[in-house]
Amino acid sequence: MKRRRSGRLMLVLLGTVALVAAGSAAWLGSQRATASSGAAAASKAGGSGILRIGTTSYIDSFNPWNYIEGQGLNAMIMTYPLLVQVDYSNKEGYFITSDFAKSWKASTDGKTWTFKVRPNGKWSDGKPMTADDAAWTINTTVKYVDGATAVQGSSVNHVVRATAPNSTTLIVKYDAPVGNALWLIGALPIVPRHVWEPYEKKQKGGKALKTYRPEGKLPMVTGGAYTLKSYEKKGTTVFIADPNFYGPKSNADAVALTFYTNSDSMIADLRRGNLDWIDQVPFGAVSAVKKSKGVKVNEWPGGEITNITWNSNSRKLKNRELLDPRVKKALSMCVNRDKMIQVVFGGYATKVESLVGHISPFENPNLGPTQYNCSAANKALDKLGYKRGSDGIRVAPATSGKYAQPAHAMSYEVIIPTSLDFNGTRMFEILKEGFAKLGVTARLKVGGDATASYALETDAKCDGSKNIGYSKFDIAMWDWIAGPEPDFQLSVVTKGQWCSWSDTGWDNPAYDKLYGQQGVTVNPAKRRAIIYKMQKMVYDAFVYTQLTNHVALDATSTKWTGFKNELNAFSKTYYTSPKKS
Amino acid sequence: MRGTDYVVKRVLFAIGTVFVAITLNFVLFRSLSGDAVSALRCRGCSQDFKEYQRKTLGLDKSKWEQYKIYLGDLAQGDMGRSLRTEEPVTSVLWEPLKTTIPMVALGTLFAIVFGVGTGVIAAWRRGTATDKATLWGGLGFYSMPPQWLGLVIVLFISGWVGLPTSGVKDPTLGILDDPGVIEVVVDRLEHMILPALTLGLVVFGEYTLIVRSAMLETLGEDYILTSRAKGLTNWATVWKHGFRNAMLPVITLVALSLGFIIGGAITVEYVFSYPGIGLLIVEAIDQRDYPVLQAAFLLLTLSVIVFNLMADLLYFRLDPRVTE
Repeated sequence: MKRRRSGRLMLVLLGTVALVAAGSAAWLGSQRATASSGAAAASKAGGSGILRIGTTSYIDSFNPWNYIEGQGLNAMIMTYPLLVQVDYSNKEGYFITSDFAKSWKASTDGKTWTFKVRPNGKWSDGKPMTADDAAWTINTTVKYVDGATAVQGSSVNHVVRATAPNSTTLIVKYDAPVGNALWLIGALPIVPRHVWEPYEKKQKGGKALKTYRPEGKLPMVTGGAYTLKSYEKKGTTVFIADPNFYGPKSNADAVALTFYTNSDSMIADLRRGNLDWIDQVPFGAVSAVKKSKGVKVNEWPGGEITNITWNSNSRKLKNRELLDPRVKKALSMCVNRDKMIQVVFGGYATKVESLVGHISPFENPNLGPTQYNCSAANKALDKLGYKRGSDGIRVAPATSGKYAQPAHAMSYEVIIPTSLDFNGTRMFEILKEGFAKLGVTARLKVGGDATASYALETDAKCDGSKNIGYSKFDIAMWDWIAGPEPDFQLSVVTKGQWCSWSDTGWDNPAYDKLYGQQGVTVNPAKRRAIIYKMQKMVYDAFVYTQLTNHVALDATSTKWTGFKNELNAFSKTYYTSPKKS
Repeated sequence: MRGTDYVVKRVLFAIGTVFVAITLNFVLFRSLSGDAVSALRCRGCSQDFKEYQRKTLGLDKSKWEQYKIYLGDLAQGDMGRSLRTEEPVTSVLWEPLKTTIPMVALGTLFAIVFGVGTGVIAAWRRGTATDKATLWGGLGFYSMPPQWLGLVIVLFISGWVGLPTSGVKDPTLGILDDPGVIEVVVDRLEHMILPALTLGLVVFGEYTLIVRSAMLETLGEDYILTSRAKGLTNWATVWKHGFRNAMLPVITLVALSLGFIIGGAITVEYVFSYPGIGLLIVEAIDQRDYPVLQAAFLLLTLSVIVFNLMADLLYFRLDPRVTE
């Protein structure tokens, strides 16, 4: 009897195993079938097939007045016309080139720009694309700039009005000459007036312009190099090459952009041949990806720069010795940036001195460099009167006056956000080692995500008009993503950016004045001189200690060629140029 | 009457818990640093715009006023609008929910079938190699963090079995051709298997251990000895007398874990880039999107409370002693 029962059990177990095995075989078979059907579809199309891109950032919107994410901008560059776009050459770096506008010229006073746009443009619904669409987009942005269209406010900085005297001429009038007018207006996607105008009139203050989701009901009316076949915010968005596009056509029949929450899955899919391109490779994964068969890792100038962020608000309440540029310089001299580059970035970064970074053609080459020299740094601190206590930690002497502080050990919290795309904790450890050699203690304070970390810097209640904020934190380690046009990077240390983008609380009216000047200086040489001076002011005051400038890294399948990796979120060429090798 | 009292008490308790949860959800997310406006990291967002936006979204009002508005809206079935997209929260939640539920259901089904099966077999074969393997296997899976197990599956298992590791569908499916219904269904199932398996394996470990323990206790009862003495077969003893009586704690466990499992899907969805309710919550926290967070957590709380209530009521049906 017992043997018979055991036999039954064995039978059940064997049956289960057989079922699982049969199921697995079926799944595997169908997986192969799916893969081959995709390949068949690609070859049927006749072009270069489907370009499959993996990314860790998502498209939040196709509404140019309601987007935040860089991937959203990239998607709109592909599906809407821009007046001008950005190109790149090794010789010139980044420069402005044509898109919907074929040519342009500025008046002698720099206040009027005339654009000649392409005559044969068509929206995807067949309606003509004219200068009037561009004029309406610009004027609507100006009209509601303090409300519904504010996200694009900087694109129309100083614009008074745009007019279209005929279908191919666009005239934009400014109330002041604008030094970077083309860079700014080039970031504004032009929308089809006949689609969007009803939304302007739908609600008071043009509010519906902000809430309208053109991707919500397909087909969306597009006018770029691609039409939109499908949109999934946290999945795959499919762009189909538009045969009626006025510019260079896409080599691929379609582009499928897939969002990944983490780069591990994305890299796994690239290595298995499920993707053709991933737009970012983490520094720690480069060597593993390089070993993959049929995959190439590409490097080009990156915009990400890391820094030590010093609280530079002259009204800060404690540890006020950190307002002294000489102290900050001494501390910076014992931070081993070479070690950071090797350990944290695997060698894929270089040292940087300016807040505009290597990516900008306006980078001042005459700053510093800050040399790594702990011995000289120790001597500098000794000379400044910061003596070591019995425990080896230096002591800041007591001070008097409005912001009097008692004698205290030089021991500081360093805020590290958790949202960094590199190992911030390891970076902090290297800083801590350096500070320790100087008799200064650094303590890690995990700042949380970007919003929480920023709230720690600005204080919970921040009001620039009343000089409230930036009273508590001492040091942070963070990064900026700089672009070729330096205006934004230069703005982040102005008083106008307090409680908004300023992460240092620096308040220097002379600098702010120069910032205003560079904005309205059209002459490139004069503008460059002002911008160089501004960078030097920030450098000398040690508002930041710039650390590293990353190399940008992505990986591509060797089955495709012609990538213009450096044009991510700059140009339609980024998607249109790759072709099957 | 006793039975009615029991049911009424349970239902009232559940309603009270929901109210407490609603209030906690409101307070909890507002204790995070920053708000939906300070979380806007757009380069063109001026200070004036941020003030305008704060006013438009009602974030300039006092917390008490916001709470009253929240309760008032909720009483009318209105969960509000997303602070980021300004879409109604119900439609923001709907798509991710449709994605999460089948995956969680598949994972739970796997866990119940294999967890209960292995637990019963382990107890039945107590002291044998099968029992030891089941015990250690169950302990191992139960102690694994879901995200770690998910990563192991992505890095070492997925390539071997040839199943996709991200999203809900093949990115190229239907771009240049028109797939049939079966092809689409198979594709969706393939994408669901690994995240469901990850979730299922962790819960499976828990079920196995509890079922084994409950079965061992039941199999040691006098009536089991009596049934054996009556000459019943092993199968009849285990199934009719052992398994059915051991199911009481198991039902509670399954009902409770069904509620929690949706919350547990957050980390699994993150690893597998699965655009469900878990990913939505991560995004909403990042954006300080209070209405979406409140609604999502209300949903999670409700699922726990409802399944708990169901377990209570089922218990009442299965075991009349609970009202005595």
